[in-house]
Formats: sequence, C-alpha cells, structure tokens
Amino acid sequence: MLKYFVKRLIMMIPMIVFISFLVFVALDLTPGDPLTAQFSPESISGLTHEQLDALREEAGLNDSLVVRYLRWFGGVLKGDFGYSIQTGTPIGSIIANLLPATIYLALAALVLSVLMGLLFGILSAIKHNTIIDYLSSLFGVIGISMPEFFIGILAILIFAIQLKWFPAQGRTEIGATFWVNLKYILLPALSLGLALTAALTRYTRNSMLDVMNKNYVKTARAKGLSEWKVFYRHVFRNALMPISVLICLRLPMLIGGSVVIEQVFGYAGIGSRLLTAINSNDYQLVLSIIFLLSIVSLLSSVLIDLITGLLDPRVRYN
Amino acid sequence: MEAKAQKIVKSSRMRNVASKLVSNKAALLGLAIIVIIILLCALAPLMTPYNPTKPDFSAQVQPPGGAHPFGTDKLGRDILARVLYGGRVSILIGLSGAVGGMLLGVIIGSLCGYFRGWLDAVFVKVAELVSIFPQILLVLVLVTILQQSMYNLIMIFIATGWVATFRMVRGRFFSLREESFVEACRVFGLGDLSIAFRHILPNCLGPVIVQLTLNTAGFILQEAALSFIGLGVPSGTPTWGNIMNAAKEIVSINQYPWVWLAPGLAIALFVLGVNFFGDGLRDALDPKQI
Repeated sequence: MLKYFVKRLIMMIPMIVFISFLVFVALDLTPGDPLTAQFSPESISGLTHEQLDALREEAGLNDSLVVRYLRWFGGVLKGDFGYSIQTGTPIGSIIANLLPATIYLALAALVLSVLMGLLFGILSAIKHNTIIDYLSSLFGVIGISMPEFFIGILAILIFAIQLKWFPAQGRTEIGATFWVNLKYILLPALSLGLALTAALTRYTRNSMLDVMNKNYVKTARAKGLSEWKVFYRHVFRNALMPISVLICLRLPMLIGGSVVIEQVFGYAGIGSRLLTAINSNDYQLVLSIIFLLSIVSLLSSVLIDLITGLLDPRVRYN
Repeated sequence: MEAKAQKIVKSSRMRNVASKLVSNKAALLGLAIIVIIILLCALAPLMTPYNPTKPDFSAQVQPPGGAHPFGTDKLGRDILARVLYGGRVSILIGLSGAVGGMLLGVIIGSLCGYFRGWLDAVFVKVAELVSIFPQILLVLVLVTILQQSMYNLIMIFIATGWVATFRMVRGRFFSLREESFVEACRVFGLGDLSIAFRHILPNCLGPVIVQLTLNTAGFILQEAALSFIGLGVPSGTPTWGNIMNAAKEIVSINQYPWVWLAPGLAIALFVLGVNFFGDGLRDALDPKQI
C-alpha cells in the first residue's frame, strides 16, 4: 500500500511541473510589466527609466523563457509568488489567508453530497420500483439539470430572506462555534454540492442494482448470510468502486464551482478573490491562484484514488 | 449483396432503438421540451414585439403581467424577449460546443484506438491533464489572455469537451479491432483509415450520441455560470446566464425575483429535457435491455 501511495505521489510531479509551465507561459503572454509583479511598489516607485532598465537586467527579466520559468518555479516552491499588481501585497499571504476558506467550503460540499448521494442511491436501490425510488430518481435528474448558482440564489431568497433561518451572505472567521459555522456554511455547501449529490444518487442506484443481480450475491444469500451482511460485505463494497471513480472525476468541478458559489454567497474565499483579480487585470495573482487551485484538485483526486485503493484489494496489489 | 444485407440489419436495429425510445415516456417528454423551447426561441420575433437589448426607461422593473408577461428588468427591457433571444445564443453555444467536442473526440479516439503506439500514449496523457484541470479555471485563463467572446467560449468548450468521447471511442476500438470482421476487411485489402472510420466507428456511435446529450446539457449550464459571474459571453448579448447576472445583488434577489427566475427556470427546463432524452436514448441503445 505504501509503495502504491509513493508511486502515485511521484507520478504527480511531472503533472505539476507541466501545469506550472503552462501557467508561466500564460503569464508571459499577458500584457503588463513583469517588474511590478516582482518587486513591492514602494521599492520601485522613485526610480528613473535607466534604473528600471538596470533593475530589469539584474532581475533577469531579459533571460530566456526557460531560465525565467525555472527561477519563478523555484520561488513558488518556497512560497514566493511575487506581488499583486493591484494591491502591492505579497501573493503568498493573500493565498494563505483565503485558500483554507475555499478548501473548507469544497470539503463541506463534498462530505454533504457523498453522505446524501449514497443515502438516496442506496435507498433507491433497496426500495427498487417504489415511490421512494421514483422520488429519488426524480431528484437525481432535476439536481443535475439545475445550475448550482440558481439553486444558491433560490436558497438565499427562501431560507435566508423569507424564512431568516440562515445568513444570506458572508462566512465565519476561525474560532467560531460549531453552530455558527454550520449556519454560514450549510447553504453554500449544499448549493455547491447539489450536482454531485444528484449525480451520486443516480450512480449509486445503478451501481447497486447492477451488483445486486450478480451471482455472488445470490450465492451469499443462499449461504444463509443475514440480509445486512450480504448488503454490507458483498453489495455495498463492490458497488463503491465505480462510485469513487465518479467522485474523482467530479472533484475538479467542485473546486471550479466554488468560484461561482462564493460569488453568490459573498463568501470571502480564493474564488471570489480570483474574480476581482480578473476584473482588475491582476494577471500575476490570477495565474497564481489558478495554479494553486489546479494543484489542489490534482492532490484531491490522488487522495480519492488512495481511499479507493484502501477499499479495493485489486487496486492495492496491482 | 453484402451491403444490402448490412443495410437491412442496420435498419432493423435503428427501428428497434426508435421503438424503444417512443415507448419511453420520459424520453418523449424530454424531446418535446427540447423541441418546444428551440421553436419558441427560433421564432422569437413572432412571440414578442420587444427588442431584447433596447432599454425602455418608461417601463423599469415592472412585475409580470399586462404588456410584459414576464415583467421587465432595471433598464425596462422585456424579460420574455430577453429569455427567448438569449435562449438562441445559449443553445447555440451548448450545441456547437458539444458537437465540436464530439467530432474531435471521435477522430482522435478512432486514430488512437486503431493505431495505438506513441500517438495513443500522448493523447491519453493530454486527456488526463484536461480532465484534472477544473474546466472553469481553463476558461478563466483563456479569458485573461484572449478576449471574451461567444466564439472563444465555443472554442474552449470544444478544447475541453472531447475527453469523454475520446475515452469511450478509444476503449471500444481496443476491443473491436480484434474482431474477425476487421480481419476480413484487412484480407480484402481495405486501407487502415477506411477500416477505422467506415467499419469500426459505426459500431461505437451509440454511446457517443448519449455523451453528446450529456455535453450539451453540461455546456449550457457552464455558459450560464460563466456569464453569471461576468466572464462568459460579453454582457451586450443576452444569454440565459447574462440575464441572471442581475441576481448578483441581494436587492434584486429579494425585490424583483422575476428578473432572474424566468431565465433560471428556462435553463433548468431545457437541461432537464436534454437529460430526460439522453437517459431514454441510453436505455434504448443498451443491448442488455430487450
């Protein structure tokens, strides 16, 4: 298992290098003076043209793309992303402040939708062709058809403005109590996770029904195992495999979707910061955030893979 | 003679699929929703006398009813007209992105599945990369580099939408190229391209069409999300997402919900129709179900 884990992590390295190179090339293509992105505004404000040129030469901005890329990547590895053109603050600290909030939101959405999706899907399969099955199938198809932000807006109108059960906007700071936290995170996390919940409901149902018709399940029943044991040992564990693949495929959508949901709920995370950065042409910040978010989604898909490996001996031993 | 026999087999299979589709009520309902919405949008000038982009300051934020059945927005533009004209653009983007992605996926998937080798290795890696990269981020990168426009959006959807089709076609080719009919083709001296595209490919098209419906639904949702945050189609052109842009303020969520409710329901209804139809199609094409 450890060997598999290490292998997966090593396989990630070329991916990260490649993505970072793409991001750097994109950064290079954007308009704007790279000098302002590498030095804090105070340190270059009083300089003349000649001094700026000298600084440019000294900073190696006239070097070839590959040399500049290596230098940039070296800085990134140390957490040095340069400076935001708009505000002049180091990008590293902006990210350190906001990224955890976004990961928290995405994680809450992931946990909620996995729990709910599995529950609805399993109920649907066990109560095949009953009213429960029809209702949860209907939920499944409607859920994947609704834009997440539309659900978010509807949720704000109904639960925050009309019923006043939840706050309409904002997020909590670190140290808030569990209930306050829950109040703020529930609506955004449910809206963000809706599509995943619905997709999981559909997928779990089909996967369970598929496995329930397999011969080894009939054998298990014929052996006289209790219905619960048949279900847990034989059906559920086998049905889980394709489900975890689906979660893995959908994770990037969850992280991408947070950009939109943060906007709807006025949630101060890295996604809403990304949008302000785009609107103010703060390229350095935009691409740093995009780079980090893609690393996060890469890492999380490797993690899901590992969990799958823990569950399935076939993956573990190959 | 052989061609004739093939034709008969094919047509009976098609008829089989068609009859299964017709007996599936959800699929028919889905098709009806799609057709009705497309017709309404295509015939927009007949449905409403209003111009979707011209402001009318004498009729600002009017609730639904009277001269404006769906109400008007902050600039006095008729919501019904905006939803109908906006639907044209949204559906066009969704469909052309999905069709383009399908063509790209089918071509690359067939070539990789048939020839394998380094070509296959390269595209498998590329596909993996595209699928782990959150699509919305890719769009944001391109929006920052390129200009925001409808055509760029379609291009981006094509560039990211081929992966699922590619994997499916490639997988089918891997098993089909070992079949005896492929060997027979080779014995007859047919060229590689002819075998791949004329003889193997038609056997993979069922799931490809289902994927086309999934992608159409997905791209319409994505266009809406991107336009909603102001990074999709430029705001001068109405699309379903652009109209909902108004709902970014709490005031409009609370006080004039009709501005965003109508386009939101239009998206949900159309995508629901596409998904119903896609589900029915998948069931009808599934050889395991008789």
